[in-house]
Amino acid sequence: MGLFDAIGIAGTGLTAERVRMDVTAENLANADTTKAANGQPYQRQEVVLQQLGSSDFGGALSSAIHQSSGVQTPGGVEVAGIVSDSTPDQQVYDPGSPEANAKGYVKMPNISTVTEMTDLISESQSYQSDVTAMQTAKSMFTSTLGLLK
Amino acid sequence: MTLVDSTQQLLEAAMRGSWQRQTAITNNIANADTPGYQPQEVSFESALQNAVSTGESPEEMQFQTETKAAEAGPNGTGVSIDQESAKLAENGLDYQALTQVVGARNDIIRSALGAAPS
Repeated sequence: MGLFDAIGIAGTGLTAERVRMDVTAENLANADTTKAANGQPYQRQEVVLQQLGSSDFGGALSSAIHQSSGVQTPGGVEVAGIVSDSTPDQQVYDPGSPEANAKGYVKMPNISTVTEMTDLISESQSYQSDVTAMQTAKSMFTSTLGLLK
Repeated sequence: MTLVDSTQQLLEAAMRGSWQRQTAITNNIANADTPGYQPQEVSFESALQNAVSTGESPEEMQFQTETKAAEAGPNGTGVSIDQESAKLAENGLDYQALTQVVGARNDIIRSALGAAPS
């Protein structure tokens, strides 16, 4: 276990939350995009997070030893992937639109602005929590250094 | 009595335990949105208490980071962000208290050695 583990772990949390905020921003920006790269309406993107094991040798060894008890040496979090949300597209009645079909409906992305905004709030609060954890580790470290005076 | 007595060793072991707990809590907070994640915890106090009663030296003591089985909340993880934040604050203060005590004891030794306390 290293001295700066806690700061590194909080850092992985910051990175993960930032990616989530980026993806939410992308979803919001494309809330009205009827033609994505494949010509279809934009599909909502979602981030999948996964737990990260310790990357250094000592941590990996300790995880292997305690594998039976299911304990993993703390290593933080990482983005496992960004996946498309398979919720069907919304159908909006807008006969004047050039995208409208024979019945006057336009296929719009499966994005709800309200969902995206609440996600954004939760992501920014998780980010704050990671910052607080990092600050606490830093002040603990500073008080240890104070012993050397 | 030696210069580094058992109380000092206990304080140092408690500082190590508190640091390890800090790492575990930070990991829980970082994984607050990871589906299927189970929170981790470090309980070093009971191990230290055992050491005091059995007279075992706490100097090289290792503490276990354990996974706590918790029911998954609506977001799919067992982490309660409020509880973890409270524990984070508490652990930070605990650690500060420990360093203050260690510092005060160092000052006593220092003044016994004839140096001015810092």
